[in-house]
Amino acid sequence: MKIPRLVIVGGKLALICTVAAVVLALVNAVTAPVIIENRERALAEGLAAVAAQSGVAGVQVGEAQPTTDSQVVTTAYPMTSPGGAGVGFILQLVGNGYGGDMQLLAGYLENGELFSARMMENQETPGLGKKAESPAYMLMYVGHGAATRIPTSKNDLPAEQVDSITGATITFLGVGRALAEGSGFVKTLGVEPAGGTQ
Amino acid sequence: MIREFTKGLFKENPIFVIALGLCPALAVSTQVVNALGMGAGVIFVLLGSNIFVSLLKNFIPEKVRIPAYIVIIASFVTIVDLVMQAYSPSLSSSLGVFVQLIVVNCVILGRAEAFANQNTLGNSVLDALGMGIGFTLGLVLISLIREVFGAGTITIFAFGSFDGVIEIPGLSESPARVIGLATGALLVMGYLKGLFNWMEAKRAGERGNSASDGAGGSAA
Repeated sequence: MKIPRLVIVGGKLALICTVAAVVLALVNAVTAPVIIENRERALAEGLAAVAAQSGVAGVQVGEAQPTTDSQVVTTAYPMTSPGGAGVGFILQLVGNGYGGDMQLLAGYLENGELFSARMMENQETPGLGKKAESPAYMLMYVGHGAATRIPTSKNDLPAEQVDSITGATITFLGVGRALAEGSGFVKTLGVEPAGGTQ
Repeated sequence: MIREFTKGLFKENPIFVIALGLCPALAVSTQVVNALGMGAGVIFVLLGSNIFVSLLKNFIPEKVRIPAYIVIIASFVTIVDLVMQAYSPSLSSSLGVFVQLIVVNCVILGRAEAFANQNTLGNSVLDALGMGIGFTLGLVLISLIREVFGAGTITIFAFGSFDGVIEIPGLSESPARVIGLATGALLVMGYLKGLFNWMEAKRAGERGNSASDGAGGSAA
């Protein structure tokens, strides 16, 4: 019986795809645990680095508390002093950047003032939006959120800082809006760290 | 045989002469470290795809050769992406989406279609290495100019206590930021392409002169 040419052509292509899928499955089996470990380590380092900027010696970061009523704030970590008093919150935020979602870690005092922020996973453009990964970039937002609002427009920045966001305005707006929403979220929590985040 | 290797470096440089793979070349050439990482990824994928396309050239049916090449190329790109995420997360983060975009890099599909499916394994390996290194050299040259003039720094891999950033006195305080932006990328690319064209024209002129001298000499 003669096998139709279409079946031969399709079969050969299917065979190539199958071999490729098997090879990729093997590579994924080796690399997936390492990638997960890298992400967990990056999160732990990020939380420690943000908490260290709170200005409270020996501050402790509590268990993650998922939030249910916000698209931007995905997780809240309450911070307490060694004496057990509430210090504020570290929030995991999702901002809209030029390359899609940007994951952020941001530390707030209980009055909503941002004291530290850190860019985590993102797909921003190397050399432009990627500059937001630098700790110095976040200084334009730090200190705002309580008495003054967090910058969400170029007009909110002093002239000397506008240059630093040239070429990456969408990244700046995405970070600013996420941080501003985080600040508003913290203000709604009040002083009871666990109550409002459930 | 060595010509298959050397042609990709200058005479048929993928960026400045053939003008392939310009989108990632312009996008990631803001820092030297990105160019080196992207170049290494492209060399690996180009080598892998050329090897397999050459080996399977008699097996892959003509009608589905492009989908088959894309499957092979995408597999190598996924391997590069996963390995980078696992063992070099900072470089993976730095290159971002451009690692995945190697799949549609014209240099790779172009060499598979134009060279590897018509040539021996040995020549395909040399072609991949030459084109890959030529692409990397072009990328590093563009990124070096853009980073030096656009940011006043040279960023390479960090090691030990060295953070990988070399600041250039005078330029790092007041860089020409436009060179680091998309406009600067096109300007730098245009000037370098012009330089390559001028060098090629000059070389062709010298070849023409020597040929006419030789003809004159033999006539005399």
